[in-house]
Amino acid sequence: MSERDEDQETGGRAVPTRRAVLALGAVAASTVVTIRPALAQTAGSVLHCQIPIPTAQQAGNYIAPDGQVVPAGTPGAFAPPPRPLTGEEAKALIGHGPTPPGIDPDAGQAYVNYIRRLQAGMSGFTCYASLQMPR
Amino acid sequence: MAGSTYIADADVLACTELLEGLTILFQAQSGRTHILAPPAPEILEALAGRAGDADAVLERIGARFELDAEDAAGAIAARLAELEGAGLVHRP
Repeated sequence: MSERDEDQETGGRAVPTRRAVLALGAVAASTVVTIRPALAQTAGSVLHCQIPIPTAQQAGNYIAPDGQVVPAGTPGAFAPPPRPLTGEEAKALIGHGPTPPGIDPDAGQAYVNYIRRLQAGMSGFTCYASLQMPR
Repeated sequence: MAGSTYIADADVLACTELLEGLTILFQAQSGRTHILAPPAPEILEALAGRAGDADAVLERIGARFELDAEDAAGAIAARLAELEGAGLVHRP
């Protein structure tokens, strides 16, 4: 780890300087997802949760290859998928599995990068977080 | 407005795994697994075996991190309520 005490920016995200930056998040954001012991029964429903790409507030925008939401028509960026991805489809895409029906294969990686950028409080985050659990 | 005082079990973070920026926490007592995003793990660390209110939590994590928040007190209070709801902190 670096001990440098200088300001750096990488794509707008703060990087640790001498003291790491801890974002406390918005009051309305959510940071805890609890999985109960009866998960075996709910695993199926986790896979059917949905991840809108992008969020409803950003509908119509495109997704850049690195997952950022950019204005529609941005060169190199992809149109959003015609429907939200299900958890199962997102899991398949993240695991380099088959591209879900109706999804542009070239856009798949951009969508994966978008999903990886989801933060607590954003629509789809809980679904994504649920997919990360050990099975 | 310090609000309620909370405490977490001293060993609350005993069984955790980091996964792509998220902390997977297994709580043996309840048999539940929790997926935590920052700053929830940091708050648990601040309250592990040491009771404190929102102000104390801010002071403890502020000693280690530069805090980034529009409404730090409100955000911490919301996180504490959430952690209480998940059974990870309780009122002493």
